[in-house]
Amino acid sequence: MGFGRYVLIRILNALIVLTLVTLVMSALFVKVAEKDLQNRIIEQVNAEFQALQKQGRAPENPDQWRAERIAYYRHEYKLDRSYAWRVMYYFKRTITFDFGNTRNPVFGSERDVKAILKRAIPRTIQLFTTAQIIIIFLGILLGVKAAQKVGSAFDRALSVLALVTSSIPMWWFGMIMLLIFAFELGWFPARSIPDPNLTGWAHIVDMLKRMVLPVATIVFVSFGAWAWVIRNIMIGTMQEDFIMAARAKGVPERKVIYGHALRAAAPPVVTMIIMSLLGSLGGAIITESVFTWPGMGRVYWIALETNETNLIMGLTFVNVILYLAGVILADLTYGFLDPRVKVGASQNV
Amino acid sequence: MRWVDFKESLSEFWADFKRQKTGLLGIFLLALLIFTALAAPILTSPDIPEKWKTFWLDNPKNVPPTWVNVFSSQKLAPHLVLEGSELQKYLKQTDSGYVIEIPYNNEYDVPPQDIVFKDVVGKSEGIRKPTLTVKVKRPDGTEVVLLQNYKFSGNTVIQLGTNPAVRDALIRWVKSQGIQIDPTKEFQYKTLMDATRVIFGKLNENILEKPEPLQGTYTFIFEINVPKDASVDLDNAKIIFTGRTYGWLGTDFKGRDLLAGIIWGSRVSLAIGVSVAVFSVLIGIFYGVTSAYFGGWTDEMMMRFQEFMASIPSLPILILMGTYFGGHISLWQIVLLLVVFGWVGVARVARSMALQIKEQTYVEAARVLGASTGRIIFKHMVPQLLPYAFASMALGVPGAVLSEASLSFLGLGDPTAVTWGQILHDAQAAGAATNGYWWWVLPPGLAIALVGFTFVMIGTALDRVLNPRLRRM
Repeated sequence: MGFGRYVLIRILNALIVLTLVTLVMSALFVKVAEKDLQNRIIEQVNAEFQALQKQGRAPENPDQWRAERIAYYRHEYKLDRSYAWRVMYYFKRTITFDFGNTRNPVFGSERDVKAILKRAIPRTIQLFTTAQIIIIFLGILLGVKAAQKVGSAFDRALSVLALVTSSIPMWWFGMIMLLIFAFELGWFPARSIPDPNLTGWAHIVDMLKRMVLPVATIVFVSFGAWAWVIRNIMIGTMQEDFIMAARAKGVPERKVIYGHALRAAAPPVVTMIIMSLLGSLGGAIITESVFTWPGMGRVYWIALETNETNLIMGLTFVNVILYLAGVILADLTYGFLDPRVKVGASQNV
Repeated sequence: MRWVDFKESLSEFWADFKRQKTGLLGIFLLALLIFTALAAPILTSPDIPEKWKTFWLDNPKNVPPTWVNVFSSQKLAPHLVLEGSELQKYLKQTDSGYVIEIPYNNEYDVPPQDIVFKDVVGKSEGIRKPTLTVKVKRPDGTEVVLLQNYKFSGNTVIQLGTNPAVRDALIRWVKSQGIQIDPTKEFQYKTLMDATRVIFGKLNENILEKPEPLQGTYTFIFEINVPKDASVDLDNAKIIFTGRTYGWLGTDFKGRDLLAGIIWGSRVSLAIGVSVAVFSVLIGIFYGVTSAYFGGWTDEMMMRFQEFMASIPSLPILILMGTYFGGHISLWQIVLLLVVFGWVGVARVARSMALQIKEQTYVEAARVLGASTGRIIFKHMVPQLLPYAFASMALGVPGAVLSEASLSFLGLGDPTAVTWGQILHDAQAAGAATNGYWWWVLPPGLAIALVGFTFVMIGTALDRVLNPRLRRM
């Protein structure tokens, strides 16, 4: 089966998943939004009534007027349609990235959910990729080192570190970092929102300084487990015959490890990289809100605290898309690196 | 499997497990955690979850634990409550009413925040109400009348630290001791003075501006004058020296005792962690085995569904579900949701293991003998996977605990339960990290990490004993 067809089927698969998940999300969202909109209608009608009263043009029959206005807004907000119709309506809107507005402005004066997301996502990616690059680098370096000397003090220390760090919440560690380095020692600023008065070089330095703590948090909590997995993959590879053959040939040890073993271990390692990138995105998002880093995590926190349902829907959808894109990428790289992979691999595991 | 076989394999397992030091440590920690969780109502009090939603008015807010005094050069006064029989010890009945004389040894550099006389109930039939006079005898021999003939009726709370009459009395006293006060500042003192620091301060010209602590034994005298046709009920009365420190773990912004929160939080954490791990592993195993046993189209469909579930990111969906449930997910809903996303990985591994077992001759033999599908799956295949199941149950707990904590941290947790994630949510909302309230931030996270660590240790030890193929790692 050709690689092209494999790619096509993978993408189709992801699109089907996306469609189904979005349908489920819309079905949930319609219920949440209904309550939200009903409250909003009552608020709006009350505000209109008061405005009219102030102008001295209060309606003669307030109850009837009120009922008319409510009916008008119910029509406006499509609340008079059937549940199924509204689910499909929101589904279409979500798929086309139309999430509506928030009630209160986020990031200054922005109220359009799409614009908020456009601003937040690059910031999350900036923080996250920086941290991941460091993690991957450290992980491969330490993992390979541990695999070389299985059972040594270094290997054991790494295992213990992996065990400990994988059971602490990343966002909590962020709070501890803030306590120590921002409050106690005062080395780094406690808030991540950059100083708007700085421009040029000073702005970049300010940005970097504010990135140190969040990045350090993500790296510290993730790199141990990472290195440990690489170690396990490497141990498996190092026992293969071709490594013994390479050693017998007299290939230098360094080249055996980095040239032969690491290359052979590449497919699972690359998949691991992408999958763990996706997996840790959730934790990193919550960590963001601890540092008030103005990315998606911060927006999530704001959305939940102020009950902005439109914003939560938008964030969730974007997250699902990012995740699915990552899954496709992982599949494709694996298929590319390991030609044995076939579509429907479950048929002959 | 016969009972004898079972006993034998169990003792064999235990002999192996005993050699795993980390596993034993894990078991010890688990026993400790279970004890804490079960004994929570006895260790603290049974009404904590109910009380947790309210402000704890008697307690100081945002104060560190008492043991910080050991490490700091400045000694902070601890929290002291006198009530019930302890208060009755100091209570004397006189002709005109009651007198409470309380000796207070102030050996601290920072005195209590406040002195509160609480829940004293006065009843009066006639015009004259019961009155209260508060005096303090200081170690330097002076006596200050803090409150003179304060009339009260009904359930009364008197906070000496913030009472304007007490501030006035203190200013008068300072003046009467021959200390000059800047008249332009007098009004400022009346509104902003930290009264307890003055009560416990050295008598010199700085006493109002920057009081220095005067150490020694103080005697507080509460004189209650009860007129003829009035009565005073002191049964529920409390005298509280509101501390600058509190208990073993301090308090949060609502004055809640954080130690009680940590102890009660262990219940939720353990219950959710264990139930999610057990249910999702069981479902995963049955799913995988069933899929492998039937093979063909059933297998294909089941694996497609598994892939579908695996490609959904759980956290965003959980957050959306949280808002769907009205901003709060109750505990059983959290368990349900985490199980829905939790079985996926196990199912895949269980399937590939079951595919190997399916080919073994004894399964074939059972089939030839006419055993039903259910019997083959439950009796012959699933037991083979149990070792893997136990290890992955233990290893699945930390993830579930972390997920629950993350949801609670985002404010989506169960509002009727006390959880570690919620304590951290409150801490984050109050800016505890940037204000340096370490006693509020550290313990809940350490507790989460401890639960995770315990199960990881048990899990890896089980893995090594039950799946010896992995021993080389």
